[in-house]
Amino acid sequence: MSISTTSTAVVPPGVVVAPRLPDLLQPVQVRRGLLGFLRNHPTVAIGGGLLLLLVLIGIFAPYLGTVDPTALAPARRTRAPSADHWFGTDLLGRDVYSRVLFGARVSLAVGLSVAALASLAGLAIGLVSGFVRWADGIVMRFMDGLMSIPPILLAIALMALTRGSVGNVILAITVAEIPRVSRLVRSVVLSLREQPYVDAAVASGTQTPMIILRHILPNTLAPMLVQATYICASAMIVESILSFIGAGTPPTIPSWGNIMAEGRALWQIKPYIVFFPAAFLSVTVLAVNLLGDGLRDALDPRMAKSL
Amino acid sequence: MLAYILRRIVATLPVMAIVALFVFSLLYIAPGDPAAVIAGDQASPADVERIRQSLGLDQPFLVQFGTWFWRILHGDLGTSIFTSLPVASLIAQRIEPTLSLMAITLILTLVVAVPLGVVAAWKAGSWVDRTIMAFAVFAFSLPVFVVGYVLAYVFALQFEWLPVQGYTPLAEGFWPWLRNLILPSVALGCVYIALIARITRASMLEVLQQDYVRTARAKGLGQGNILFVHALKNAAVPIVTVIGIGIALLIGGAVVTESVFAIPGLGRLTVDAILRRDYPVIQGIVLLFSFLYVLVNLMVDVVYTLVDPRIRY
Amino acid sequence: MDRRTLLKGLTGVGSLAATGGLSMPALAQGAAARTLRFVPQANLANFDPIWGTQYVVRNAAALVWDTLYGIDAALQPQRQMVEAEEVSDDGLIWTFRLRPGLKFHDGEPVLSKDVVASLARWSARDPMGLMIKAIQNELTAVDDRTFKWALKQPYPKLLLALAKNNAPCGFIMPERIAQTDPFKQITEYVGSGPMKFAKAEWVPGAKAVFEKFTDYVPRQEKASWLAGGKQMLVDRIEWVVIPDPATAAAALQNGEVDWWESPIPDLAPVLKKNGNINVDIADPLGNIGSFRMNHLHPPFNDVRARRAVLMAMNQEDYMRALVGDDNSLWKPLPGFFTPDTPLYTEEGGEILKGKRDLAAAKKLLAESGYSGQPVTCLVAQDQPITKAMGDVTADLLKQLGMNVDFVATDWGTVGARRAQKTPPGQGGWQMFHTWHAGADCISPAPYTAIRANGDKAWFGWPNSPAVEKEVTAWFDAKNLDEEKAAVKRLSKAAFEDVIYAPTGFFLSYTAWRKSISGVVKGPLPFFWGVSKTA
Repeated sequence: MSISTTSTAVVPPGVVVAPRLPDLLQPVQVRRGLLGFLRNHPTVAIGGGLLLLLVLIGIFAPYLGTVDPTALAPARRTRAPSADHWFGTDLLGRDVYSRVLFGARVSLAVGLSVAALASLAGLAIGLVSGFVRWADGIVMRFMDGLMSIPPILLAIALMALTRGSVGNVILAITVAEIPRVSRLVRSVVLSLREQPYVDAAVASGTQTPMIILRHILPNTLAPMLVQATYICASAMIVESILSFIGAGTPPTIPSWGNIMAEGRALWQIKPYIVFFPAAFLSVTVLAVNLLGDGLRDALDPRMAKSL
Repeated sequence: MLAYILRRIVATLPVMAIVALFVFSLLYIAPGDPAAVIAGDQASPADVERIRQSLGLDQPFLVQFGTWFWRILHGDLGTSIFTSLPVASLIAQRIEPTLSLMAITLILTLVVAVPLGVVAAWKAGSWVDRTIMAFAVFAFSLPVFVVGYVLAYVFALQFEWLPVQGYTPLAEGFWPWLRNLILPSVALGCVYIALIARITRASMLEVLQQDYVRTARAKGLGQGNILFVHALKNAAVPIVTVIGIGIALLIGGAVVTESVFAIPGLGRLTVDAILRRDYPVIQGIVLLFSFLYVLVNLMVDVVYTLVDPRIRY
Repeated sequence: MDRRTLLKGLTGVGSLAATGGLSMPALAQGAAARTLRFVPQANLANFDPIWGTQYVVRNAAALVWDTLYGIDAALQPQRQMVEAEEVSDDGLIWTFRLRPGLKFHDGEPVLSKDVVASLARWSARDPMGLMIKAIQNELTAVDDRTFKWALKQPYPKLLLALAKNNAPCGFIMPERIAQTDPFKQITEYVGSGPMKFAKAEWVPGAKAVFEKFTDYVPRQEKASWLAGGKQMLVDRIEWVVIPDPATAAAALQNGEVDWWESPIPDLAPVLKKNGNINVDIADPLGNIGSFRMNHLHPPFNDVRARRAVLMAMNQEDYMRALVGDDNSLWKPLPGFFTPDTPLYTEEGGEILKGKRDLAAAKKLLAESGYSGQPVTCLVAQDQPITKAMGDVTADLLKQLGMNVDFVATDWGTVGARRAQKTPPGQGGWQMFHTWHAGADCISPAPYTAIRANGDKAWFGWPNSPAVEKEVTAWFDAKNLDEEKAAVKRLSKAAFEDVIYAPTGFFLSYTAWRKSISGVVKGPLPFFWGVSKTA
C-alpha cells in the first residue's frame, strides 16, 4: 500500500492548490511473519542459522559419517588427517572428526545450560537486590562471597564428591557465573529505578512486583541477553579450562574442551587435534554472539543500535 | 560516603566467615586424603592413619573448623600440610607474580580495549567497526592456553625475542620483570580486551544517541573531546562493572596462564593445593580471594557514584 | 658363612677399579657456566625423604644427604660413607666404621650418634627397615666413628637395605634433626651430601636451589649410581618446575633450561631434531604399568574373573597409549619383575602371551558368575599415565561385556578411595590404575605391590599363601640361584592368583642440551659428574 502526498479530494473554487509534488517517500514494505522478521534482522538470521546448524550437527552426529567417538585404537594414534580420518586421530587413536561432532553436543549443552540457568538465577537475584533497597546490602555481600570461591575449587570438589560429569561441570560454572549476572542486572536496575516513569508508577500506587515486572524487567532484558551470550561462550571456554586441569567432562564423553586439553601438549607437531575443536568453538561463539546482538536489536527498538 | 564504605567493610567480615565455613565443609566432605598422598604409594594403612593423626585430620569437623577459625582470628593462617611452611609466607612468596601479571594485563586491556570500543562506536556500521568487532569475537573464542602456546611459539621460539617461561621479580630490574610478563599478559588479556571493547562500544553507542551529545557537537566541540570527555564518562557504568567482573575473571584465567608460562603465582598454588588437598593453603587462599573480591566490588561501587551522580546509596 | 669369606666378598665388592678418579674438564668462566637448570618430573613441595616418599623428594634428597652404602649400576651395594664393615660369624652383629673427614653442611662432623638416630628414624618407615627393626637387639654408637647393629636373627640383605635407591633411602642426618618423629616433617635440611639446600630461595612448587658444598670429600672410585665418588662439577643447581610439557619443550629448545627430566614421548621427535639437544633413555629399569583389581568384592573376588581380564587384555594397546609409535620405549611384560635384571622371569606368564582370545575370556567371565553388575573403575585424570591406561581399560571391559562405572577423578581422590575396603556400592572400588618404577620391582625386597598377605597387602588386598611363601623363601635365600628359583615360583603363583595385572614395561626419555655433559642413565637423575660449558 503506498502513501501518497497528493489528495484526490474535490477542490472548491477560489482555493489555490499547491502544485503536485513528486512522491518522495518510498513505499514501505511491511514484512510479516517469521521470514519477514529474519529479513529485517539479518544478524539474527545468520547467528541463529549457524547455531541451529551446529545444534543439528550435534543431534545428527551419528549419521554424518562418524564412528564411535570412544573407539580406541592406540596403534593408530596421532595420525594426520587423511581419507580414513578426516580430522586425524588423537592420542589414543580415536577419530577426531567423530569426537568433534559428538563433542558439539556436550559443549553446546554446557554453554546453553549455563547461560540459561545463570541468567535466570542472576536475573531474579539482581532484580531483588537492585530494587528492594534493604535487601541490596545482604544479597550483594552474599554474591561477593560466592564469587570469591574459585570455580575450579568448586568443580574439583564436585568432581571428587561424585565423579567427573557434564552435570557437575554445568553446576560449577553456573554457580560461578550467577554473581556476575546479578551484579550487572543490579547496576542496570540501579540506574533505571531513578527514571521518572518509575517514580510515576510508584506515585500512582503500583505494587512493587508489578513495577518490577512491567517497567524494570523489560529494560533489563536487553543487557541481560547480551550478558547471556557472553556467558554461553565463556562457559564453553571455562569447560575447556577445567578439562585442562583434569576436572572437566570425563574423557569417555568428548567435548571440544577436553579434546583440546588432551591434545595441547602436542600442538606444535600435531596441531590438528587442537585446531579443529578450536575452530568449531570459535564458530559457535561467533554464532551465539551474532544471535545475541541481533535479538537485542530486534527486541527493543529504542535500544536498537545501542547496547 | 565514608559511612557507606565503613559499613561495607564491616559487612565483609560475616561474608568471609560464611565463605570460610562453606569452603571448609566442601573440603571436609570431598574425598581425598592428604595423608595418603604424603605417605606415598608404599605406605601401609596404619602409616597413613598415623600421619592423619599427626596432622589433626582425625578430629571431628567442628573441632577442626573451630581450631582453624580461632587461629585466623589471631592472624595465623596455619601451616601447609605438605611443605610445613606457614601459609602466610607461601602466599607472600607467590602474590607478587600474580599481582604483576594481573596489573600488566589490566593496564594493557584498558589501554587497548577502551579506545578500540570508542572508535568502533564512533564509526558504528563502517568496516572499521566490523573489523574491530570481528577481532573481538575471535579473540574471545580462543582458550587462553591456545593463545599462550601460539604466542610462545612465535615470539619465544621462532623469533627469540622473549622468554618462554618463568618470572623475574621486580627487584631484579624493571625490564627483566616486564620481559617475562609480556607474553602471558597478552595471552591472558585477549579475552578481556574483547569483552571490554564490546561493552565499551555498546555503552558508547547508547550514549552517542543522547541529546546532549548532539548539543555538544552543535556547540562545536572537537570529536575527541566529545568522545572521551562527555560520552565516555556517561557510558562508564557498565564498563566499570565489567572491569570489576573482569578482575575477578583474571584470577581464574591466571591459573591457566601461570601453568602454561610456568609463573610461580597464586593461581598455580591454588590448583596444586586443591589437587593435593593441602587444606590450610586452600582455605588461606580462598580467604584472600574473598577479601580481594570484596575490595574490588567496593571500589567498583564507589566508582559508580563518581561516574554517575544519579546513583547514590 | 664365615667371617673371612664375607669380608673378602665385601672388600672385593667394595673396591671398584679406580680409574684414576675424575679429571676436571676445562670449564668456561662465568656464573652461568656453573649453574645447572633442571626441570624435575614433579613439584618439590616438601623435602623430608623419610616422611614423604615421592620420587621427586628422593631425587632432590640424594643431592643433600649421603647414605652409608650406595647401589651401583650393577645393582650391588657399595660403601659410601662407610669405610669398612664386619659381620660376626653367626651373622648377628654388624659393625661399621665411618670414613674420616665427613662433615655436615653446618660444619659439624658426622658422628656415629647421628647415624644411629638417622637409622632409627628411617627404619620406622621403610619396609626393609621395619623388618630389621623387628629382629633388632640394639643399634648403638661404639665410638665417634664406629657403630654396631646387633640382631636376633641373621639378615643377609642388610647392606642392600642401606644402599637401595627405593624411597625411603637410608639418608644420614644430624642427630637433632633425625630425632624428629618419623610421622612429622623435618624443618631443617642439613645433610652431608655434595650439595647444600638453599632454603631461603626455595619456592615450594616452583623453584628449588642447591649450592655446592665445598667441604664434601668424595670417594676415590668412579661414580656409579649412588656409589663411588660424587664429584660436583657445577656450583649451583636450580630446579625449575614447569608443569606444562609444551612449555618445558620450548624452554629446553631455546636454552632457558639445560636438562628436562621427563619429556613426554610425543615431544621427543621435536627435541631429537634440534641440533642442540640430546635425547636418551633415562632409566634402563623403566616402569611397569599396572591396574589392580579388588580381591575383596565381586566380581574380582573370583580368580576366574581376574584371569578372564588377563586373557582379554592387550599390553600393546596400553603401552602404545602411553608411548605412541616409538618402539624403543616399551616391551610386553608377561611377568612381574623388571626386564633385564637378574631376577626377571616369565614363569606363569603364558596368559599374557599370544593372540588374545576374547571369546574364551567371556566364557570364563560368565563361569565366574558375573551377571552384569557395574564395575567401578577409578581413573586419575591429572596423571597422564593413569589417564591413558584408564581409557584403554574402559574399552577392554566394554569388549568383555562388562558394565563399566568409569570414575574420572583426581589422583588425590584415587589415593583416598583405594584405601576403602567397603563394597563398591558404598564408596569402594573394583579397579584402579597405577604404575611402579622398575627399580622398585627388581626383587621382592622393595616390591610392596607383589605382596599377597590379605589385609596387610597393598590396595586390592590379594591373598595368596603361595606367593607369601616364596617371598619368605627369597629373603632366606643364600645365593643368587636360590633367589631365582624362589622368584620363579613366586611369579607362577602370582599369575595363578592374579595379584595384579601388569599392563606392560615402558621406558621414558630424558633430554639435555649439548652444552652439558656427564648425564648417565639411572633410576634417578644423578648430578655428580655433570658439567656445563658456556
